[in-house]
Amino acid sequence: MTAPALLLSLLLAFSGFSALALSQDRHHRAVIRTPVARSRIRGLRAAGWSGLGLSFAAAVTSVGWCFGPVQWIGSLTGSALAVVALIAYRPTALRAAALAAIPLAALTLPLALMR
Amino acid sequence: MSAGGVNARRGTVRAYRLAVAARVLLAIVGGYGVAALASALLALVLPVARPEAVSTGMIASFAIMAAAVIWVFAARTVGRAALVLGLAAASLIAALWCAGAFQAGGAA
Amino acid sequence: MNRPKSFRQSMAWLHTWSGLVVGWVLFAIFVTGTASYYRTEISHWMRPELPDAIPDPVAAATGAGTFLRKTMPEAAGWSIKLPNADMTAVEVYWWQTIGGPFHHALLDPATGERSTVRDTRGGDFLYRFHFELNMPPIWGRWIVSACAMILLIALISGIVTHRRIFADFFTFRRDRSAQRGWLDAHNVMGVLALPFHLMIVYTGLVTLASMLMPWAVKTGYHGDIRRYYADAGLMIAGRPPAGRPGAGLPLGEIVSRAIAATGETPEHVTVSNPGDAAATVTAYFEEPPGLAHLHPQIAYDAATGVELGRVGEAGAATRTGAVMIGLHEAHFAAAPLRFLFFLCGLMGAGTVATGLVLWTVARAPKNAAPEGLGLRLVRILNLGTIAGLPTGLAAYFLANRLLPVTLDARADWEVGAFFTVWVLAAMASALYPRPRAWSIALTVPAFAFLAIPVIDSMTAGQVRFVGFDGAMALLGLLLFLAARLAGRRALARRPAKERLHGTAEA
Repeated sequence: MTAPALLLSLLLAFSGFSALALSQDRHHRAVIRTPVARSRIRGLRAAGWSGLGLSFAAAVTSVGWCFGPVQWIGSLTGSALAVVALIAYRPTALRAAALAAIPLAALTLPLALMR
Repeated sequence: MSAGGVNARRGTVRAYRLAVAARVLLAIVGGYGVAALASALLALVLPVARPEAVSTGMIASFAIMAAAVIWVFAARTVGRAALVLGLAAASLIAALWCAGAFQAGGAA
Repeated sequence: MNRPKSFRQSMAWLHTWSGLVVGWVLFAIFVTGTASYYRTEISHWMRPELPDAIPDPVAAATGAGTFLRKTMPEAAGWSIKLPNADMTAVEVYWWQTIGGPFHHALLDPATGERSTVRDTRGGDFLYRFHFELNMPPIWGRWIVSACAMILLIALISGIVTHRRIFADFFTFRRDRSAQRGWLDAHNVMGVLALPFHLMIVYTGLVTLASMLMPWAVKTGYHGDIRRYYADAGLMIAGRPPAGRPGAGLPLGEIVSRAIAATGETPEHVTVSNPGDAAATVTAYFEEPPGLAHLHPQIAYDAATGVELGRVGEAGAATRTGAVMIGLHEAHFAAAPLRFLFFLCGLMGAGTVATGLVLWTVARAPKNAAPEGLGLRLVRILNLGTIAGLPTGLAAYFLANRLLPVTLDARADWEVGAFFTVWVLAAMASALYPRPRAWSIALTVPAFAFLAIPVIDSMTAGQVRFVGFDGAMALLGLLLFLAARLAGRRALARRPAKERLHGTAEA
């Protein structure tokens, strides 16, 4: 189904982008009010890229190799825009939103894989 | 742009404007010309079926034009930009001639 | 440019000036093109008299054929769009010569005569405007294509100029200087939707490739575009007229044969040389699921109904081009994905708009010094385009509801309202006091869009338009938000902390 599939890629990409943003000192300070610890940068980056990778995998498995990449790139734009807007206007909400997106994605998964 | 104008003398300003106008003209005429020639050549020489070669030539032509225009504005001088585009156009025309585009019954 | 500069510096110059010269046209193209993702919804809303029920396509085709035979029997061609869920009336076109003019009518499928539904160009006006600018088609298409090529150059040079694409990926510093805020907004909208921007501009050029770059067809096919289309699997090769008159079967008969052959109703049928003994009817079917814009086609002899041929299989390169056109049009996208395309289109318009504003902000005189002529011109054109076009758009929709239904040349009046209000809004915005110009200029279309649901509920007032009305209200609220932000930004404007020279230097 396309709507849950798109939502799934959006949620995963959103979590991924949030982690990537938090791996940058400027955004970590804005969101969590502390400089980002050296030791955490690598973990956040790994989490971020795997979020984007999972988003791609979700798009391709749910709507196929033809529409999947198109849908994935669209959801990258949409989710990154949401991350930027949150950092600019509600920075403290980003962490909670990024964490909440993961269980939501898990809930969307069965719907997305339904054909 | 910002560095050029304000305190330079009138002559320099005019030279600058002429140089910009020359590049714009070269980008339009030269960029389109090279892209058109390359597109025409691809249609003849690509080792695929004729309609496929024509489609490739049409699709690729815009990337070729964009690259040519970027080159025109990146080159150190207008003369250099014109020289390279001229050489490219000349070799494309030569290749087209070899491919038979100008023979009787051919196009252009 | 007169002395040696780095590659990045020349690209910054190129980005700034190429973006400025075509920025206003590009903004209009982006806005109307983005609206075209909802072209059928707009057309629906603008023809409130049309019922939702889909009439029988076979009877509709026969009725349309009778109408066209009566109207122009000696035409070079007819085209009939059969009714479907998107459009429950029959749209017909007919032309005397292949170069046009193309006549158009909307038919009532029940009577086969001209429909009494209010005369409007609907979403098609916005769609055609985005690549023809309401000019003679050839002129408009060349101008739009030139703007597209310049946008492609601006995108490439912008990528080179923006040296911190990844470091500043999420950065939008709205609380710093005005210039910083505009630059960040320009970068964020440009970078986050960059795949879309590159795709839409390149694929847009590809849609017009046969006009823009005919040279491959010139050498490969001696300029015979029809033979290329037939060989490439894009069209069925036509046949020449026999030169003696002939009578065709009722069109519905051929449509039922097409349905029987494929199990699908054609989207539209064309008839070439309808009065001739060798008249050909071609049925075009909906694209099969996939990205490519390739319509299956079957040609029939108009007189006997015998199948003449089907469209060939497209090769990899032709298919690539068809996928590009498919991506541009996004017909394949279901509602959720289509909304993302719409969002990306808005971000494109936003990137152009913020770029234009940034050009003036970066050059704004300090303190109360008077602005120079060039700066003033750009600022007023910015106001007139970025705030004026939405005002005209709202006027187009409002005119659809407010003009009398039976008005003569009503569709032209609607288009007239669009341009008149746009020009008036642009002229008025030139008179607004400079510090508050943006917030006033954006408040006008905000009110106009909010008026749409109100006027609609007082005139047409149908439940099925709730979605469209809600979207218009949302656009109005967004414009209000933009007006407020612009107002706040104007108040906060003070000498910039960071001194930046070129607009594009980050």
